[in-house]
Amino acid sequence: MPAAEALESDAGLVARAQGGDQQAFAELFRRYSDRVFRLALSILGQGFAAEAEEVAQEVFLKVHHALESFRGEAEVGSWIYRITFNQAVNLKARARYQRPHVDEAALSHAATAEPGPDAQLETARRDRTLRDCIQTLPEVYQAALRLYYWLGASVGEAAELLGVPENTAKSYLHRARQLLDGMLKERGYSNV
Amino acid sequence: MSEMDSRGTEIDGMLRRSLGGPVPRLSPEFERRLSRELRRRSEPSSRYERILLVGYCAFSVATSVLVMRGHGLGWGLTATMTLGPLAMVEAARRMRRLRGV
Repeated sequence: MPAAEALESDAGLVARAQGGDQQAFAELFRRYSDRVFRLALSILGQGFAAEAEEVAQEVFLKVHHALESFRGEAEVGSWIYRITFNQAVNLKARARYQRPHVDEAALSHAATAEPGPDAQLETARRDRTLRDCIQTLPEVYQAALRLYYWLGASVGEAAELLGVPENTAKSYLHRARQLLDGMLKERGYSNV
Repeated sequence: MSEMDSRGTEIDGMLRRSLGGPVPRLSPEFERRLSRELRRRSEPSSRYERILLVGYCAFSVATSVLVMRGHGLGWGLTATMTLGPLAMVEAARRMRRLRGV
């Protein structure tokens, strides 16, 4: 990639794309596609990669359509992430996504595959309970947890994708852990 | 380490274990699919589709006007009730574009 193109700001790319330059839109896509996909994944959860890709496609179609009316009042990234967040949350609400069901037989099978079957089964049950509890948290907490623990994002990156200051993202994680701790205690897992 | 800290560390470890797993990536053909979809949506509708749409609109408006006039409604009210919804659809479309989403 030429240096001049690498240094071009998002605002510059948007200005060129608004003038009909498809290369500029393609560059915007390259800059943001992975992050849009990760944000969508963090909202939809594990096992929904295909749906996250659908969300990413819809987001870029919307961005392309709305680009000419974008006036730069917000950062380009924040604007794209906001569209992604809304799109993914709407899809999740419509489809009432739940984690893929894992029955007791499957858990037992997983447990017997390794040494210490009782302990393995207990761990699998506890992990399933934890994932159930996560589903009941507010969307931003769920997304923060998945970004940080599953997708390996730093707190700073999670904050950027969620459109909040870094301290707020930290407090989302802290509060989410507190809430999960309380829920696990209620379900009889006082020693995790 | 206080009990609260130790509990926090335990939850942290549990989350790492429970949520850890392979991270999916965008499929390689995603960009191509998006380009195709963009091209499809930006193509102007065909001449045949436009003629069909205009014909349908004209027929609907004419039928509505005939029925409303047949029931004794005045021209003003008839025009408002026939063209008002069309104007609202167009206004909503413009507002969505202005909001940028």
